[in-house]
Amino acid sequence: MASKRIHAAWFIVHFFLIAAVCFASVFSLIAEGSTILPPAFDKYARNSELVAAWFLGKQAGAHSPFRRGIATYLHAAGVQTGYTFFAPNVPGYHRLTFELYYEDGHVEYQSPHVSGEAAALRLESLLDRIADDQYEPIREVVVKLLALSVSRDRPYLKKIRATFGAVTPPEISDFENGKGESFQPMFRYDFSLLEDK
Amino acid sequence: MKNRVATTLSRRWSDNLVAFLFTPETDKWLAALRVGLGLQVAVYALFLRSDWHYLFASTGKGLVSRQLGEAITSFDSPLIPKLGWLVAIGGYTHVGEDGVLSIAWACLLCMGVLLLLGLFSRPAAIIAWFLHLCAAESGGLFAYGADNFMTTGLFYLMLSPLPDRYSLDHQLLKAEPGDPQLLGFWRRVLQVHMCFVYFIGGLSKCLGSGWWNGSNLWRSLTRPPFNLISPDILVRFKYALPILGISICLIELGYPFFIWIRKTRFSWLVCILAMHVAIGLAMGLYLFALVMIVLNLAAFGIGMRNGQRASAEIPGSGSTEQHAGISGQSALGTSPLHS
Repeated sequence: MASKRIHAAWFIVHFFLIAAVCFASVFSLIAEGSTILPPAFDKYARNSELVAAWFLGKQAGAHSPFRRGIATYLHAAGVQTGYTFFAPNVPGYHRLTFELYYEDGHVEYQSPHVSGEAAALRLESLLDRIADDQYEPIREVVVKLLALSVSRDRPYLKKIRATFGAVTPPEISDFENGKGESFQPMFRYDFSLLEDK
Repeated sequence: MKNRVATTLSRRWSDNLVAFLFTPETDKWLAALRVGLGLQVAVYALFLRSDWHYLFASTGKGLVSRQLGEAITSFDSPLIPKLGWLVAIGGYTHVGEDGVLSIAWACLLCMGVLLLLGLFSRPAAIIAWFLHLCAAESGGLFAYGADNFMTTGLFYLMLSPLPDRYSLDHQLLKAEPGDPQLLGFWRRVLQVHMCFVYFIGGLSKCLGSGWWNGSNLWRSLTRPPFNLISPDILVRFKYALPILGISICLIELGYPFFIWIRKTRFSWLVCILAMHVAIGLAMGLYLFALVMIVLNLAAFGIGMRNGQRASAEIPGSGSTEQHAGISGQSALGTSPLHS
């Protein structure tokens, strides 16, 4: 019976945490104003998100053992993010293009690439992720590392210009009228390779 | 008087919870989960074979940098497993980063095969969970939904009472299957988890206008790298897109209700499986589709259609009536909404 009680207690705590993670992600979507709910809900959703985050220990200090314990458990169980995939709406996607300037003056255009389809899916996931404001502090570093991966087997490169932007695909009616996707540059970085060399 | 009523209600609630959680089960669902996740782990390793080192190499050697992903993960908690730990251990034994990454990949593939066969099931499940978690966390910037579901599936698998009757552990090593009530408990955990997944997924989709007019489905199917179907073909079915979009919302939102009712369970399961097959084929999300199909089949697919016959198969048990007595409901396919 004691074993059953331990299992039942774990069950309750486990799903309580999952519920907190899931509802925090739903409230976050509502608070961002990206749903069909009227803006009056935004404030309540923000407060509810904070309550859910509190249960997950996110209000505690970064070094709090309580916060770290919960985070470790959530990651170990694979439940650290809510299940709001492709919701509430499917956004456009992102594109990163490198202009490769060689010492002899010629210019090449490249994108970061991997060999397998499964990894290509992950690369797209990375690009969508770094467009998020949350990743702003590391965006330039990630783009620089991606540029480095392209430059590795090109010894005569002088400079790389990276352009990162959002691609908005056409809606059905636009597509029927022959309209294609549009590209909106978001960030541009120049990396000089001569200094590094 | 009030105290006595409260105590009685609390005890009844507690008894009902225990009865719901510990309904005896056969180990067929566990065999399905083991084989399915074994296949998933093996396919995961094989799909990433050519890019494994490129994705997880350290700064200056790979696509981005393993250390960057690990630093982001460590911000959440430094205790979360990562490939960097293995590389550090390799350093003590004079095995370089490339060697450690190769060994990790080979071990992951081997664990997938061992799970498929059911040989050393529990150690294989634990090692597969650990290695996959290390890879998913070190490559956190590259992770997507399939990684979370794989981690969750392997987490539940390693905690479940392995081995099952269909494993080589049982056939060759004569290891006994687990306690039917514990098997029932871990199946309940998986079932409730799937209900959370679809309810939250359905709810958040219902909150987006694009799922009601079909535009989200159009965008999902036309954005790279999911654009396997030509937009010209999709345009021909443009009137079906809103219907399909609304159907997806309703199927997901209704899952935690209709999957428990015996009369609707089979239809709902078929709809969910069809949706995942379509996602796999039309969007190229093969790993995601496979893991969702495996989790659904293990949770609600295997041994759920004919409760009485399945309950009679529970090993080491008395009569079917005895189990019904324990749970207060029929032995299999039970639910609070069971009609």
